[in-house]
Amino acid sequence: MTEERQAGPGRRVKVVYCGGCNPHIDRTAVAAELAADGSAVAGSADEPAAGLPADGPAAAESADDPDAGTGATVHLSGCPRACASDHLLVSDDPSTVVVAGELVDGVPTPALELAPTITRKLKE
Amino acid sequence: MALKTPQEFRQSIADLHLQIYMFGQKIDDYVDHPVIRPSIDCIAMTYELAALPEYEDLMLATSHLTGKKVNRFTHIHQSTLDLSKKVKMQRLLGQKTGSCFQRCVGMDAINALYSVTYDTDQARGTQYHERFKKYVRYLQDNDLVADGAMTDPKGDRGLAPHQQPDPDMYLHIIDRRDDGIVVRGAKAHQTGACNSHEIIVMPTVAMREGDEDYAVSFSCPANAEGVYYIYGRQSCDTRKLEDNALDVGNAQFGGQEALMVFDDVFVPWDRVYLCGEIEFSGALVERFAGFHRQSYGGCKVGVGDVLIGAAATAADMNGAARASHIKDKLIEMTHLNETLFSCGLACSYEGVKMPAGNYQIDMLLANVCKQNITRFPYEIARLAEDIAGGLMVTMPSAQDLADPKIGPIVEKYLVGQGDTPAIDRLRILRLVENLTLGTAAVGYRTESMHGAGSPQAQRIMIARQSNIDHKKDLAKALAGVGKPWDKGKARVPTAVAAD
Repeated sequence: MTEERQAGPGRRVKVVYCGGCNPHIDRTAVAAELAADGSAVAGSADEPAAGLPADGPAAAESADDPDAGTGATVHLSGCPRACASDHLLVSDDPSTVVVAGELVDGVPTPALELAPTITRKLKE
Repeated sequence: MALKTPQEFRQSIADLHLQIYMFGQKIDDYVDHPVIRPSIDCIAMTYELAALPEYEDLMLATSHLTGKKVNRFTHIHQSTLDLSKKVKMQRLLGQKTGSCFQRCVGMDAINALYSVTYDTDQARGTQYHERFKKYVRYLQDNDLVADGAMTDPKGDRGLAPHQQPDPDMYLHIIDRRDDGIVVRGAKAHQTGACNSHEIIVMPTVAMREGDEDYAVSFSCPANAEGVYYIYGRQSCDTRKLEDNALDVGNAQFGGQEALMVFDDVFVPWDRVYLCGEIEFSGALVERFAGFHRQSYGGCKVGVGDVLIGAAATAADMNGAARASHIKDKLIEMTHLNETLFSCGLACSYEGVKMPAGNYQIDMLLANVCKQNITRFPYEIARLAEDIAGGLMVTMPSAQDLADPKIGPIVEKYLVGQGDTPAIDRLRILRLVENLTLGTAAVGYRTESMHGAGSPQAQRIMIARQSNIDHKKDLAKALAGVGKPWDKGKARVPTAVAAD
């Protein structure tokens, strides 16, 4: 699933959601918090991300996406299985942040700290 | 060095001259000792199958460190496919040996330490990960068996490691030197300890402030000075000394456990992978346990295959195979066994790539896998005993069968259906006995209960990941909890009112 939102004056960020079968976190709330923060958002679910293997479901349509690899991407999975990033807890692409439940790039992060942590990483 | 042959493995273990004690005596020729030899032959099977092309897909993997083919037991998992092949390999070996083949603990230890050393370095600026990668390469290049040593004796479970009246109840550092550390303590019920070239030590619990000397992980040769082993007894183990295969049940293979003692053992710094970083001891315990709980979804299933086959054969020999209740019991055993396999595969397929680059199983599903393992093998064993019949525990000995006077009587009265000779009937019943009550029951039953952590340890992990709040939200949304209620719409249904 892909979703796009107009972000604040800052950079555009694509959000790639997992399917949401058993989320431990409120994924849409985290995405909304990013938008409100002015640091993001363009969102999408099936969309790719640079640095991810081309054989994963999340990457399946990346070649057709004109925005792929041009901005930051947040892979937003509801649980530690990290389906949005094809089971990767961290991406090789420095412009990609991977959220998997209460993990950000593989580091345990409380739910309330997810959006601030993502924002900080996007600014780095 | 290429992959070892089974013969090279046996000789390499003999060459270590391990310090092993059993029945109060030091055992020098342990490789040929009748009690120990079946367990060495069991690990040798991991080398034998690796050399056969028909098993290569499961038994071998390509090292990400060297690009060379290595035995999967020394491999760092590089994909969810690797994780699933690990489980299938374990099922295969359980089928071929009918017992615990002991090499899994080292594999699970290196995969846990691979990511924990990386995470520790990232957080603390240490240099453990590169050091550990070098060690993994050493294991791969020399096709070695490593014992993953985690469980401390623990003394008073209500006290932290540093609070124990005897400080050696948890393995700990007693000296830090310029060239390394000196450790003292013990590791209990170590599977395959006396068949291993190397020992990989890990802490057994999450450490707290004050436990810094206990938050230690390292590797050392199995014959390091100060390391010795006290061999663990198994039910019916001395039958192996009777020089007949019949009453042993499975005379070819068996498992092995030992109390491993570290009597002031020196470890050089290049073999140390955690040294006082208490906050990472818990992660190491959880990751090792997670991998090992996955393992049981393969190995116990393979042994279960053997037990189901033995029960079905016993039914054939008893002339009971066509009875509907026997068929149903075999179906139930298969259902339970395949459920365990499903859990092992599921936690593999849902694995994730860690920041260190290796793949790790899904923790919740791995713990569910092991929780089922604490139950289903017991039920499979109960059904096997049901099908086998009481003769399994009352039959005469091999010596009686061989006796010129008594033997023909035993043969006459214990003959099976059709032309099934008594000897074959006794063989299959002894195998069932071996798996459910004898030496192999150590691995198939009690190890299923306590190995890789006792049942409550899995329940704690399951509770931590059960996501109950989400489930509550689902239920509340469907039930309409919290929504306004219009009493006026609570009318008697029209059809009922018409009556």
